[in-house]
Amino acid sequence: MSEFDAGNFCYYKSSMMSHASLMGIMGTRFDMVIIGKNKSESETVWFNIESELKRLNRLLNRFDPASEVSKINKIADHQQIRVSDEMWQILNNCKFYHQETFGLFDITLKNFYAIQFHEHNKAVSFLRSDIHIDFGGYGKGYALKRIKGIVEDAAVHQCFVDFGNSSILGVGHHPFGDAWKVSIENPFDAGQTADEISLRDMALSVSGNTPSYSGHIVHPKSGSPETRRKLVSVLIDDPLDAEVLSTVFLIAAESEKEQLKKSFKIFDVKEYNF
Amino acid sequence: MSSKPKQIDTSLRQFIKDLGYISGGAALLATTPWLQSFTPDKAKEMKKEKARIGFIGTGSRGQYSIHAVSTIPHAEIVALCDNFAPNLQAASELCPNAKTYTDYRKLLESPDVDGVIISTPLYLHAPMTLDALSAGKHVYCEKSMALTMEECKAVYDAYQGTDRVLYFCMQRMFDEKYIKGMQMIHSGLIGELVGERCYWFRNHDWRRPVPSPELERQINWRLYWDYSAGLMTELASHQLEVCCWAKQLVPESVMGMGDIVFWKDGREVYDNVSLVYRYADGVKINYESLISNKFNGMEDQVLGNEGTMNLATGMYYLENEAGGKKSGIEQLIGQIGNKIYASVPAAGASWRPETKEKYNPHSILEGNFNVNEGQSMVGALKDGSDEILSAFCQACITGEKGKNIVEEAYQATTLCLLGNEAMKKGEKLYFPDEYKIPYMKFS
Repeated sequence: MSEFDAGNFCYYKSSMMSHASLMGIMGTRFDMVIIGKNKSESETVWFNIESELKRLNRLLNRFDPASEVSKINKIADHQQIRVSDEMWQILNNCKFYHQETFGLFDITLKNFYAIQFHEHNKAVSFLRSDIHIDFGGYGKGYALKRIKGIVEDAAVHQCFVDFGNSSILGVGHHPFGDAWKVSIENPFDAGQTADEISLRDMALSVSGNTPSYSGHIVHPKSGSPETRRKLVSVLIDDPLDAEVLSTVFLIAAESEKEQLKKSFKIFDVKEYNF
Repeated sequence: MSSKPKQIDTSLRQFIKDLGYISGGAALLATTPWLQSFTPDKAKEMKKEKARIGFIGTGSRGQYSIHAVSTIPHAEIVALCDNFAPNLQAASELCPNAKTYTDYRKLLESPDVDGVIISTPLYLHAPMTLDALSAGKHVYCEKSMALTMEECKAVYDAYQGTDRVLYFCMQRMFDEKYIKGMQMIHSGLIGELVGERCYWFRNHDWRRPVPSPELERQINWRLYWDYSAGLMTELASHQLEVCCWAKQLVPESVMGMGDIVFWKDGREVYDNVSLVYRYADGVKINYESLISNKFNGMEDQVLGNEGTMNLATGMYYLENEAGGKKSGIEQLIGQIGNKIYASVPAAGASWRPETKEKYNPHSILEGNFNVNEGQSMVGALKDGSDEILSAFCQACITGEKGKNIVEEAYQATTLCLLGNEAMKKGEKLYFPDEYKIPYMKFS
């Protein structure tokens, strides 16, 4: 068996379109549609993206015992662990988001301050033994941000990326429209559309609860799971901001939401209560 | 022997080509080593010869194979044998130039026969195969391998000590949708393999008309334990072979129940069986067969935590597409192909009662698959039978043994026989050590 499920690539010549997908990456599936490139150009872009996704999985997936985050989780509660440059940047970036969101974004899900940053040797340690790092609300956004860079470098001007059906990147526009349109379905009423959102050079992230998957977002301050019948969508140009903010808006108080709207250049944020 | 220059079998060639062996097929070759003998490079080694084939048993299945072999350019049917006159007559009309026999031993004495195709009742498989190998013939025998574990072992041991080619008709090994489906399973498409569910349902008494009562057991041999091992060897053997192929292991134990529920007509074999085979890691094969209701037909389902491969229908289904709706991306691709601008759904999950959900069917072989609904007692078109026959005829010329074919047949048949024993005893049985061969991996 391969470490990862096989990626899949299909080219539709008449539409100058390719569809590539990868199963079982960061616990979900990844799909992308590239428009306007020939087969070999599209394949090259996909090759680079697939490699990047697999690389990030080895960095950020806490369910993979060989990943860097798993090693940190195993060691950092009893000793300092030096981390890779990229992990150092990521952890500092998480610290930034933690500060900017009044502690609502928290990769420890309980007490971000328990992570000690040792600047001189780029090492971290945990102050408490019950601390674990979980990039669940960060990884897909980070990956999409990297992918956005790959797509831009390859001069792809039209593409649609769907990571796990909840993190979406629309580059350019649909070949027969002026944007990419995404409908948000009511998870509690099959077939009912809650909203329709147009993306053009934008990222969309949707967070919330569905009947079969509820309470997975935890309020880091109270420690209680969010179980309301609710979804939040955030539309913003940076896919990582989108990923972080959609979770944060789900649990933020009204006053905090007002602050967040001032500090981030959010194009649109919507809440749906069912 | 014909003096005309002969071509290699183009249909077998095309089959191998369709499987993707021509370019970048190394991974596929690794998963289907029995096809290695039939790559284009190997074909060049083949001399322009014809395999001279004798048929032992020319009943319905024998005649089916006669039709298939007649179309193979590198084969020539030179001999026919059956001890039931109407069957021999019918076969002789199909190949008037072939010499006819009523005693297979006489056929085996003929130096003009390179290989034999045995399509006889199960109890004759082992003695005829052993006799044919000792007579120096290459042998192709219908499934299953033999009537008892002892006989299976005897055939296997004889095969180890001969340079002759031996094939059993495990046609799924040559069925394109099974081969590609297995490749998909082994590449992780359906995630971790968590279960296997196979069944074969027919609504038919399994009887053939008998011209006079003393021929009952000869013609309806399937119904009596001395001649047949019933539903297990006739139907389940193919499916258990597929299960082990997918799982890349052999189950170590089995429990089951078998009964005559509906066709109480003097038959001895069960018309209704349910068995559970268990692998060392706890994954199970649930097997069910009955012949008094055909609603469910025949299916070989391999269940993964991310999808289901239905090899018999050539379709697969992904867990994340449950609900019958196409995924957002699939809708988008369809829209762009049709020059439509519309939205694609995201973030939805719909609640339903837990009755069977609709799944999006995907074809293993894009736009080109054949479904065996399992209702024919003779054979289904394009199920790999023709390819395996062609492969055997080629092997009669090259003398190259088929990799894994005997081992797969041994594995599948002994599992069927163990299942029968478990049902008869009403006990959970472990695979006996004395019948384990090196090929079988239990953990």
